[in-house]
Amino acid sequence: MEDYKFLFKVVLVGNAGVGKTCLVRRFTQGLFPPGQGATIGVDFMIKTVEIGNEKIKLQIWDTAGQERFRSITQSYYRSAHALILVYDISCQPTFDCLTDWLREIEEYASSKVLRVLVGNKIDRDDREIPTHVGEDFAQRHNMYYLETSAKESDNVERLFMQIAAELMEQARSKELPRYDINSQNINRRTTTIGDSCCSRSS
Amino acid sequence: MGRVAISLARRYYSGGGVALTADRYPWVTRAPHLSRIEDKHVAAFERLLGPSGVITEEEQLDGYNTDWLKMVRGQSKVVLRPKTVEEVSAVMRSCSEGKLAVCPQGGNTGLVGGSVPVFDEIVLSMSLMNNIIKVDPVGGNVWCEAGCVLEAVNTHLEKFGLMMPYDLGAKGSCQVGGNVSTCAGGLRLVRYGSLNANLLGVQAVLANGDILDCMSGHRKDNTGYHLRQLFLGAEGTLGIVTGAVISCPTLPTSVSLACLGLDDFSKVLTTLRTSKRILCETLSSCEVMDDTCMDAVANKLGLKPPLGSHKFYMLVETHASNPQHDGDKMDAFLQELLACGDVEDGTVASEPSKMNALWQIRERITEALSRDGYLYKYDLSLPHEKFYEIVHVMRNRLRGVKAAKTVSGFGHVGDGNLHLNVEADAFDQEILEMCEPFIFDWTQKNGGSISAEHGIGFKKAKFMGKYAATGKASLSTMRAIKTALDPNGILNPYKVLPPA
Ligand SMILES: Cc1cc2nc3c(=O)[nH]c(=O)nc-3n(C[C@H](O)[C@H](O)[C@H](O)COP(=O)(O)OP(=O)(O)OC[C@H]3O[C@@H](n4cnc5c(N)ncnc54)[C@H](O)[C@@H]3O)c2cc1C
Ligand SMILES: Nc1nc2c(ncn2[C@@H]2O[C@H](COP(=O)(O)OP(=O)(O)OP(=O)(O)O)[C@@H](O)[C@H]2O)c(=O)[nH]1
Ligand SMILES: [Mg+2]
Repeated sequence: MEDYKFLFKVVLVGNAGVGKTCLVRRFTQGLFPPGQGATIGVDFMIKTVEIGNEKIKLQIWDTAGQERFRSITQSYYRSAHALILVYDISCQPTFDCLTDWLREIEEYASSKVLRVLVGNKIDRDDREIPTHVGEDFAQRHNMYYLETSAKESDNVERLFMQIAAELMEQARSKELPRYDINSQNINRRTTTIGDSCCSRSS
Repeated sequence: MGRVAISLARRYYSGGGVALTADRYPWVTRAPHLSRIEDKHVAAFERLLGPSGVITEEEQLDGYNTDWLKMVRGQSKVVLRPKTVEEVSAVMRSCSEGKLAVCPQGGNTGLVGGSVPVFDEIVLSMSLMNNIIKVDPVGGNVWCEAGCVLEAVNTHLEKFGLMMPYDLGAKGSCQVGGNVSTCAGGLRLVRYGSLNANLLGVQAVLANGDILDCMSGHRKDNTGYHLRQLFLGAEGTLGIVTGAVISCPTLPTSVSLACLGLDDFSKVLTTLRTSKRILCETLSSCEVMDDTCMDAVANKLGLKPPLGSHKFYMLVETHASNPQHDGDKMDAFLQELLACGDVEDGTVASEPSKMNALWQIRERITEALSRDGYLYKYDLSLPHEKFYEIVHVMRNRLRGVKAAKTVSGFGHVGDGNLHLNVEADAFDQEILEMCEPFIFDWTQKNGGSISAEHGIGFKKAKFMGKYAATGKASLSTMRAIKTALDPNGILNPYKVLPPA
């Protein structure tokens, strides 16, 4: 059996082209993919990280930004422990859409989900959304805020590690049930998913 | 569904350098009692079918004489292309009187050398009998002629909200008559069952030209022997299938397809179990392929691998009627795979273009592997715990053999059906002898079957006596049936049954 104590599901959402896939690939593979194509459906992968001697497995779900490719993505929100909502700091429309995304999150995700707003592409010099505007938005909507560059690897590691650390804290303070290796041996079904999510996902 | 047709057309310039069956397999000898075709026969056929129904031009004959895998090549001088059951009947009456052997041919996508002549048998191509006769949208049945291409029937059925109960990579070329004659399995058997259940009727022309009509298409019909079943998997040795009635399931309104990366075969098996348990009634396909297959489609066909590198890839598909329900189940399934560590990496979609791209990778493996060399292909049913072992066994066995390039495995893991492949630069006698009968022995010893879905054809006929899953009495019963229906042995000789 695998030796890890925590398993968390992190889902990335946001408009097409804001850099969700690049953020994930930077974090999981340490590279910036040239000519990254649009995501269709959902890609998912496992990345194990270590925080203070604890192994934490992150399931990362990279969803499609384009509406027509998103047909079944709503199901994937439900059991998320953290949602990363991404916009592009050099593209106003991707910021303007955030309220639509929040509405969707309210509708489909667990109320306890950890929400993080990310302004990506800070390496670009044609910024349209100043940092404080993003910060204000995040504060108003009860979200963490971070600016990143998948291209230059700025804050990407930090983004995921902070999420992992925060979720671990929450789990320790009983917000989320602990991942129990012993129960997994008896029954391969995991019990990490938050209670509210479990009861909702059939 | 809207899947893109894969054209399986191959180039057959002057036999493509394929050795004649008579030369490559010298143990097979032409049956002396069969007549050789003469000009008077050709003239008679032209009177029956019109000049366009008879092909005798050398260049055109090559394609009909050579099989898809390019492992066998016959020497037929005549191809007949009847358009109606009456024409087939007249042809068979004439062949029966003249003791002329006939090789029925559908889409010629068969993988066991059954669809092309061994010597000079007349090729009876069913391609022009391609009418879809009718569809009963209430009962969910389709009546069609034998030469209908599978994909064409499927496209027609979509208008009625129906689909064919089976699907295979050869869909753009293979014909319903060929599917019936091989009892084709394919990608969806795990959900919709085999043709044993879904074939509701057959029309066939017997060796003497009589027309056997069992086309009522009742789902239940116990009036005597189930004659239609005789033609399932008969591979053209008992009669010419001219029509079929197939029971068709409802076209799903919500389809999802996941591609999963796994690093150990035991994880493939637990994933199969998990898929059955969680996806349950929505599971419509569960396929596996190894890294060698993925490399072949990527490098030889230029298809883009959907995930990072893994030892194994699975395709798990659901057919459902409610997107919410479908999505929820798929999510629960994937959650569990990620939680228990069986799957490291994957992608899931319900967008047709993406699903199609994923299916292409699976469906075009054989095309990729056989692209620039010779492919030794084995189609085995195996107990799940033995499923992939033979790939390792063969890799070890062929380690020192320079001509053997790769050994790979893929297949319908949900059905316990492995396609084992040995890729070589060219046909090589040494490899053949390393594979046969070794693989058949191994399969038998491990409780498997040497033909899961491709049939026996020419390639495995000589092994039938020893390895037919059903034993000696079954072979004598098969012979008795063959003799009763085809006393002169003119229907697809040298195929299925071993020489007496
Ligand atoms: C890329 C690829 C993928 C494949 N995938 C699968 C798969 O998943 N599952 C599977 O089961 N098979 C598969 N096959 C094998 C093959 O496609 C099937 O066996 C198919 O059913 C053959 O149909 P056909 O019309 O091409 O028949 P042919 O190849 O023309 O003939 C096959 C046999 O049936 C006989 N026959 C054909 N038509 C008639 C008729 N009307 N009356 C009497 N006898 C007839 C022939 O004499 C021959 O013995 C695949 C082949 C390819 C090339
Ligand atoms: N300059 C710069 N470009 C980036 C950065 N991140 C992503 N890009 C570029 O933005 C484009 C889109 O990136 P993706 O990661 O595919 O965007 P996405 O959000 O996954 O898009 P969808 O899959 O369609 O939802 C690509 O051309 C990337 O090269 C970044 O940090 N800086
Ligand atoms: Mg993307």
